[in-house]
Amino acid sequence: MRTKFSGILTLFLALFVQILFAQQQTVSGTVTDDTGLPLPGATVLIEGTNTGKTTDFDGNYSIKANNGQTLVFSYVGFTSQKIKVTSATINVQLKQGEALEAVTIVAYGGAVNSAKVASAIATVDGSTIEQVPINSLDQILQGAAAGVSVNTGSGQPGQSGTILIRGRGSLQGDIEPLFVIDGVPVDQDNFRSLNQNDIESLSVLKDAAATAIYGNRGSGGVVIVTTKKGKKGSGLNIQYRTLYGVAVKPKTRFEVMNASQFLTFQRDLLPGNQFGDSLSDTQIAAISAQTNTNWSDIFFQQGTTLSHELSISTGSENTSSYTSLQYYKQEGITLGSDLKRFSFRNNFNGSSESKKFNYGTTLTLNYSVNNFIVDATRGGNTGGQLDNPFIVPYIGLPYLSPYNPDGSLNLVGTQGSGALNADGTVNASGANGFVNTAFLALNTARLNTDQENEFKAVGSISADYNFAKNLTAGGSVGIDYTNIELLQITAPGSIRGLITPSQASEEKGSQSETFFRDANFIANAFLRYQNDITEDLSVTASLYGEYNYSNTQSAGFTAFGLNPALPGSGSGFTAGNTAEFPADSNGDGVDDPEDQVFNYIPGVASSESEIALASVFATAAIDYQGKYGIEATIRRDQTSRFPKNPTGTFWSVAGRWNIDNEDFMSEVDVISTLKLRVSYGVVGNQNVGSRYQGLQTVNAGPSYQLGTGYNLGTLVDENIKWETANKFNVGLSFGLWNNRLSGELDYYREVTKDLFSQKLLSVAGTGYNQVTANVADMSNTGVDLQIAYDILRKSATNPWSVKIFANGNYNKNEVERLPGGFTGNTLRVAEGRPANTWHQVRWAGVDPSNGQPLYLDINGDITNVFNPDDAVYLDKNFDPTYTGGFGADISYKGFTLSSLFSFVADRYRQNSSLAIVEDVGLAGFANQSTTILNAWTTPGQVTDIPSLSFGGLRAVDGDRYIEDASFLRLRNVTLSYTVDSKILEKTNILSGMRIFVQGTNLVTWTKWRGFDPESNQSTGFFDYPVPRTFSLGFDLNF
Amino acid sequence: MKKYFLIPIIITLLFAVSCDDQLERFPVDSLVEETAYQSVSDLEAGLRGAINSINRGGGTASLIAFNSIFTDNTRIGGNNGGQQLNLLNQILNSQTGDQGTWADRYNAINNFNRVLAGAAAITPGASETSAYNEVLAQCYAFRAYLHHDVLTYYSEDLLNGSALGVHYQNTVSTSDFPARATVAENLTEIDNDLTLAASLMPSSSTDKNFATQDFITFLRARVALYSGDYTTAISNANSLISSYSLANQAQYTAMFNGDTDTTEVIFKFDNVQGNNSNIAFNWIFTGTGGNFIEMSTELFGLFTTGDVRRTVNVDPASDPGANPPLLTIGKYPAGADTNYINDYKAMRLSEIYLIRAEAHARKAAPDFAAASADVNAVRTARFGSPQTTAAYTSLNEAITGIKAERRLELCYEGFRFVDLKRYRNILNQGIERDASDCAGGIPCSLPVSSEKFTFPIPQAEINANPNMTQNSGY
Repeated sequence: MRTKFSGILTLFLALFVQILFAQQQTVSGTVTDDTGLPLPGATVLIEGTNTGKTTDFDGNYSIKANNGQTLVFSYVGFTSQKIKVTSATINVQLKQGEALEAVTIVAYGGAVNSAKVASAIATVDGSTIEQVPINSLDQILQGAAAGVSVNTGSGQPGQSGTILIRGRGSLQGDIEPLFVIDGVPVDQDNFRSLNQNDIESLSVLKDAAATAIYGNRGSGGVVIVTTKKGKKGSGLNIQYRTLYGVAVKPKTRFEVMNASQFLTFQRDLLPGNQFGDSLSDTQIAAISAQTNTNWSDIFFQQGTTLSHELSISTGSENTSSYTSLQYYKQEGITLGSDLKRFSFRNNFNGSSESKKFNYGTTLTLNYSVNNFIVDATRGGNTGGQLDNPFIVPYIGLPYLSPYNPDGSLNLVGTQGSGALNADGTVNASGANGFVNTAFLALNTARLNTDQENEFKAVGSISADYNFAKNLTAGGSVGIDYTNIELLQITAPGSIRGLITPSQASEEKGSQSETFFRDANFIANAFLRYQNDITEDLSVTASLYGEYNYSNTQSAGFTAFGLNPALPGSGSGFTAGNTAEFPADSNGDGVDDPEDQVFNYIPGVASSESEIALASVFATAAIDYQGKYGIEATIRRDQTSRFPKNPTGTFWSVAGRWNIDNEDFMSEVDVISTLKLRVSYGVVGNQNVGSRYQGLQTVNAGPSYQLGTGYNLGTLVDENIKWETANKFNVGLSFGLWNNRLSGELDYYREVTKDLFSQKLLSVAGTGYNQVTANVADMSNTGVDLQIAYDILRKSATNPWSVKIFANGNYNKNEVERLPGGFTGNTLRVAEGRPANTWHQVRWAGVDPSNGQPLYLDINGDITNVFNPDDAVYLDKNFDPTYTGGFGADISYKGFTLSSLFSFVADRYRQNSSLAIVEDVGLAGFANQSTTILNAWTTPGQVTDIPSLSFGGLRAVDGDRYIEDASFLRLRNVTLSYTVDSKILEKTNILSGMRIFVQGTNLVTWTKWRGFDPESNQSTGFFDYPVPRTFSLGFDLNF
Repeated sequence: MKKYFLIPIIITLLFAVSCDDQLERFPVDSLVEETAYQSVSDLEAGLRGAINSINRGGGTASLIAFNSIFTDNTRIGGNNGGQQLNLLNQILNSQTGDQGTWADRYNAINNFNRVLAGAAAITPGASETSAYNEVLAQCYAFRAYLHHDVLTYYSEDLLNGSALGVHYQNTVSTSDFPARATVAENLTEIDNDLTLAASLMPSSSTDKNFATQDFITFLRARVALYSGDYTTAISNANSLISSYSLANQAQYTAMFNGDTDTTEVIFKFDNVQGNNSNIAFNWIFTGTGGNFIEMSTELFGLFTTGDVRRTVNVDPASDPGANPPLLTIGKYPAGADTNYINDYKAMRLSEIYLIRAEAHARKAAPDFAAASADVNAVRTARFGSPQTTAAYTSLNEAITGIKAERRLELCYEGFRFVDLKRYRNILNQGIERDASDCAGGIPCSLPVSSEKFTFPIPQAEINANPNMTQNSGY
């Protein structure tokens, strides 16, 4: 193997390398710390040049240098060494410098020494999310940090998930955290175009001390994304990375009938008239021998993921830059859903000779093309759309063949499915009908278009100037710009096209294009004072001013009647004023005006909204002897959203006690880190309803008889203001045995006051049954635990490193105050209970004597009458009580095995997909679960399926399908091999090489009876499941 | 030290960045209520918006759907995938049972009240007075119409003036928690609004798509009949019968198929392309035309050959001979214009004939001959040839005959449930479905004593409003 590698790489060498580097020699060696442990990631730079290398995981390096040049070895926290090149091997032992420990990225402050952080912040290292074939930044956080709960509603490439930090903090307002990329707040929903490989780290800001600085946008927590930057003095580094993966469907946790079962069931068991009724056993056998379709096999495909990425970073004494370019392509597990994206990122940082003036720019440009199929969450879908491919594995009739006689896929349907008339012509109504679901879904996925082209740019420029002793002034300007072009085509030749714009129109099909533009600007200026007043006392204080402005515009059209020869082109549109005369009501054979129909009138739309936020805020921090610290933040926000209450003030105070630095701890060797943190503060949430929620609007538009009509917009309470979250946090950061065991334990209690919720009104008195107002209170109380243990650490004598880690969150949510006691029907928000709790009539199984469905009445007694008034709170909640993740990183020499499991527990969802295949009312035209074969037939029979004579029970199911949606999932497992740098040095071109195989979402353990328990929807209704992915890739460093 | 001069500059800059005058942002796509109503033409826009907010036959809160599906005029359709199962199963509870009718009607009433409030702030010029008055008249007329709807469905006993009625909403409020008035008080308010409307309505207003003087007369007749004031019902009916004539068979067909004839229409909600409430989608799927609700076999059997109502109500796509029979409801066909655009004919002359028939039969000194003559007039028009209906001999017989005729004439127009409710105590009949129309666990009857003949006050109202009284049985 080794020879082979050298052989291949020698080829490279022959081609390029010798010519370029012939005059130099290779210097290699190992960089270790003062105890002899290798230092991975140390920098080796040729003095006075941009050329440099970093050491590998064993501390090894190799670099091309001329005799007489000087190499500078440096590592964070260690004193640099300069050594003149005199031989081919230079081993260096660096001495520990001033104790520079791990850093934490905080809001507005950049990186600070973790020991001096008094707030609750979880950091996710970028290396753990790199090269994971999940395309949406938010979803990557699942299981990665304590208190961060991520759920995606669809496995479709390009769909984003929902993130909750420490539970649901709002009832009607925004519940998701604010995302800030390199200082620029960005849209929460459009992450598909960001390249996660560009991320250096993610900081999840959880408590008030961390988030109060974001004022009225910080109550849901904040996720600060820091992207990779070149390191000053690191020289030139080039990296190429690639990944190839395949995605397959997850395990099916329900079973539907096969052809023979279904036809026999229709004939023998199901009341009423169905296709199977008149068939003999022989006929059934013949039909099912010929056709026994498992529609899962037809609709699921193997999706692929492909990524190529090139990144270049440079660092000289005063400037550094990082540039990356990525191409990423992901195909979904069903046809017609895929994502392609190009992303470009550049960070540039520079400073003046004196280092007093620093400046930086960041720029991300992304372009993605995303094709969607009809799924359960897209564009307000419910999942019940007949062209949703994921409905078909459930209800597709097994006796229908998906193939034409010539073996190709049948995209139209059959006579049996209602799509064809007896003479073989297509029946537009039948083709769009229930029985034809399977073919309709195939047809839509193949012939129709639902595509989003997204262009996203996030950029900023910032500078600061240390203009006087202890004083720094600075500022930044940033923009987050998203442009989405949506193209939806119902092709004239498709089944949906048959009835678009109408069944009788002569021309068919429609094309809709929507242009959406969202621009967010942020300008910020600050003045910072920093002074070590005495040896023991240091003070930092900053004053900021900030202005945010967002503008969102969209416009679009829908045109009808497409020329099939000009797909996607405006030249193919039928003129809007084309009249047709399908009927001749007076029978005179002439087109009369009263029979005139306009089928092709295009639809047009345009809208715009804006919001502005102006803020002044200040922070101060005092440190005494590195043992005690106090931080305080205050922010005054003014928003355009609440014209009557524009101003809000938010604040926090936090203290820390670094117990490990106390003198009395110097004797306690076992404890290396011990820090107590306490914080309290008030943060806000202004994201509720529309951007004009504080103004009573009147909508104008085409109304009765298409004349302009005025209608009151949503009734508002003009006195509304932001929701305020009062957050208390106490935490302990600890490290034992030289930080082999390290972790953070936090207890928090967050009480959100003035929550936006429904203030109940009398419809009879006011015309409205509710108005959104600041009327509710809710609390989240919980514990975050994050822990890691280095079982084995790599050393000069031990090639093994074994590390295990876990994080978890327990969160108890309670609605403390809600006018009217509750809102909602079966999924309720109710006072004294967690938000989103199920309230239903309890299903009590089947009466063995007569097969009748049984319920529990409100007193818990058995009854055979379904009465909605018997509904009770089930103590089952949609939001999970426990979330978290755990895993292990094991490495031996060049091999590393990393794994991450994520879990969600104590969460309940309504499984409406299963309710459909156990609804015998539909069994005439929809396949059924095999469980239906256990339906009650004889007195005394104990079964959980009622007698079929009671028909479809879906309206009276009660809590029958509210299922435990807890799960444990092997989220990611990676095995990688990093090639020894001693081998690579022979190539003279590669300085690092890593090869890996990876599995994502490989195994899921759950009681949920469907494809995928995970969702941000309380009801599962034919969702697009998250796929299992296997991938292979390598990283090359030059 | 001179560098410190930068500090004041920077601080000024900090506050400049957070300047306040950037914070006044007004919506681009909508008006603000305070300034929305400036002229009579704004009021007219408000009126159109308010009318548009009334249910026009399809969608949520469609009483056409409720009256048909809850009763015996429909059965589950061949393509039903769960649609309207609650109504078929006669589930009527305070959570969702009223189909949103209460909220829909009161919201529409509120819209009219807001137009009236806007009008109060405007003094019309001389040339605008007529237009201004018409807006007011329309608002009062529709307010009466909508309140009568609410009263009909939510009051337990329309014939008892001291029974609980509903709240009569005639002011704009965002904090009112009203109690229920009595039926008699409601009737007075309705009458007041109609009187005001009649006094303000210009005689030139004859557009059948809006309220007119005839609309007011019609509503008076209907209100009077439901509340037992039979002489008023008869006098108003007489007035309309003298100025309109019943549609002949061709006109009847054209009235429902393409909305091209309005001979006997007194008022209809206009549905047009681009603003259509899709009445047909109460029973068939958008686009495909598949049935999730079909005509009941019982009702189908009642349409005899020669009756134009058979061809109007039974869509040509039907196949009565199939097993099970396919009976597509044809009253709101794709029609000549193919786009399922059908007006909601809310007031037709035939109803007036049947109102007068019933009033004659129920008045203090019943005139059964006049009653049967009015029924016969309708039948004659529908058959296109003189029909004979023997004079009734008792109230029971008269009501049985009128109820049957109303079923045929007014099916799928939002009357069946109300008729069953109003006649149930005379005939001692609840809802009886034919066995073929209630297969598969769907209930076959609703007893005459059921509370479900009155809608429950929605739970949302009860929860919000401590002064509201729930109807008995809920």
